[in-house]
Amino acid sequence: MRLSAFWEAFRIAAASLRANKLRTGLTLIGVVVGVAAVIAVVTIIKGLDQTVASTFSSQGSTVFTVSKLPQIILSREDFIKANKRRDVTEGDAEAVARLCTACWRTGVAARSASVVKYGDQKSEDVPVRGVTPSMFDIEDIDIDAGRPWTASEDQAAHDVCVVGVDLLENIFGGQAPERAVGREVRIGGRPFEIVGVAERLGTIFGFSRDNFVLIPYPTYRKMYGTKASLFIHIQVETAAELEEAQDQVRAIMRTRRGKTIRDEEEGFALETQDVFLNLYGKATSNIYLVTIGVAAISLVVGGIVVMNIMLVSVTERTKEIGIRKAIGARQKYVLTQFLIEAVMLTAIGGLLGVISGFLLAYIISFLAGFPLLLSLWSAVLGVSVSSIVGIISGLWPAWKAARLDPIEALRAE
Amino acid sequence: MSNVILAAPPQTAALDHGDLLAHDAVPASLISMRDIWKTYQMGAEEVHALRGVEFDVHKGEYLAIIGPSGSGKSTLMNLIGCLDTPTRGRYWINGKLVSEMNDDELARIRNQEVGFVFQTFNLLARASALHNVELPLIYAGVGSAERHEKARQSLTAVDLADRMMHRPNELSGGQRQRVAIARALVNHPSILLADEPTGALDSATSHEIMNLFERLHAEGNTIIVVTHEPDIAARAHRIISIRDGHIERDERTK
Repeated sequence: MRLSAFWEAFRIAAASLRANKLRTGLTLIGVVVGVAAVIAVVTIIKGLDQTVASTFSSQGSTVFTVSKLPQIILSREDFIKANKRRDVTEGDAEAVARLCTACWRTGVAARSASVVKYGDQKSEDVPVRGVTPSMFDIEDIDIDAGRPWTASEDQAAHDVCVVGVDLLENIFGGQAPERAVGREVRIGGRPFEIVGVAERLGTIFGFSRDNFVLIPYPTYRKMYGTKASLFIHIQVETAAELEEAQDQVRAIMRTRRGKTIRDEEEGFALETQDVFLNLYGKATSNIYLVTIGVAAISLVVGGIVVMNIMLVSVTERTKEIGIRKAIGARQKYVLTQFLIEAVMLTAIGGLLGVISGFLLAYIISFLAGFPLLLSLWSAVLGVSVSSIVGIISGLWPAWKAARLDPIEALRAE
Repeated sequence: MSNVILAAPPQTAALDHGDLLAHDAVPASLISMRDIWKTYQMGAEEVHALRGVEFDVHKGEYLAIIGPSGSGKSTLMNLIGCLDTPTRGRYWINGKLVSEMNDDELARIRNQEVGFVFQTFNLLARASALHNVELPLIYAGVGSAERHEKARQSLTAVDLADRMMHRPNELSGGQRQRVAIARALVNHPSILLADEPTGALDSATSHEIMNLFERLHAEGNTIIVVTHEPDIAARAHRIISIRDGHIERDERTK
């Protein structure tokens, strides 16, 4: 094929698509949807990956927890079974702290939720955690303004608290952290003095991580009693000791629950952050699979629509094909002309898909508050795959056009 | 392609022109047809559209082919124009044996040797006059600068220098046919083949187009006009009459 003939084919294809704008647009929908879905999902998940990696690596793999219920329950059976367990108590925490030689720091946390009030301002359902002082180190909680409570305040169960920055916005009208320190708020109706404001943690998956109140564990016990099951947080000094520490804690806890080696049910949950990462990895790979499935279906449907439209186009332009053949267009040329038209059609679809996919990802990442990571390879892949769809679905119509008998074709109206 | 059915022609057809040289050597004339048969399969029946047609056309001739509808006139035109190949027989154009060619080789011959002028003009509706005239050059692989220049010259030769960027629907019937003639001539073909070139035109415009043909003939072009109108045929210097797939008469009129 000579370049001049190739360029002519290109020109004709563009002119034909331009002449039928509405039809071109409708034809493209399938391809656009397919490509946009992939691009949006790939982009969003890349952004999520970044968020997840930075969030979880800040705590690292030196921390694990012991609790009654696992953090993630995937079935009803597991939930029922876990609920039958004995609560994790202060006694368990003391035993772990005393007996686990590989453990570096041990902390206790208890969870509840209360309304927090300042004057006539209030915030409902604020998570309130009673924590031991070691939790500030284990969870790496930094204080932005003020201070953590002192050891004596802890022992004496003073009504003091450290709050997350969301509370500043919700009940102090967005005042600076320094101005909140020293004020008195009511937590569940009980007056507390704010001694410190924690540093902002940001959001994950669109949820704020700064809406909380921390109070000394003895104060918590005084307020809420000791009925609820506790969370024991254990930190090891280096990741290398993690396994040894987990083994020791497991042995201590099993012994305290009278479990033998043969008992499959341990009677407690021992977990690291990996639980989240594993679940996240599983979830995203499922999302990828579903998206690829959706995209494949819409690309196949889109390809069939393109083939159909190309057949219509060949029929409509039979006369034109006849004229071109009469004045010397060879089969290869006619074939190329229609193939170019089909590929141009789907490549435009692919490009529109890439753009709308990125736009969709942008909107979602903006609303959910995670970074937008546009990747060139996904754009290139989107356009290439849709071009291949064009070649496949254009081949038969183009071949039909190329094989037209010029005499018959010239007779067409 | 039509079904190719080999019907045995009468032996005499070949013997009458027992000119063995014509079969074995390349003829000197521009167009040379020898024992041309075209047979179509219509259901169970074989229809012979052409039954052993033979004639020669020399360079610079102005020839008309006439005949009533169904005479085989159109079939003959398609064969001369290399749009189709005969069921049997040999056809040379400019020394090339086209009766044995495949589709792509025929396309090449149509591009290089034949300039078509159709009754309904057959211009590309979306393209300018200039682009329509450039089309044969595109398929011939001529570069764009040269292509532009040649198309411009060709349009100027048919007095359309001021209408080059117009589309067919912005031109009158006569102007459209002149664009078609410019397109037919742009590649300097061996023959200009016109199929009822005035069939869609009023009489004044017909006259104008026929004058143009006369001028082109005078300039040395070989012209074959296929028509059923006697007064159009009368302009030619030689008339071949077709009836029932035979050449009924072949007479020089001027």
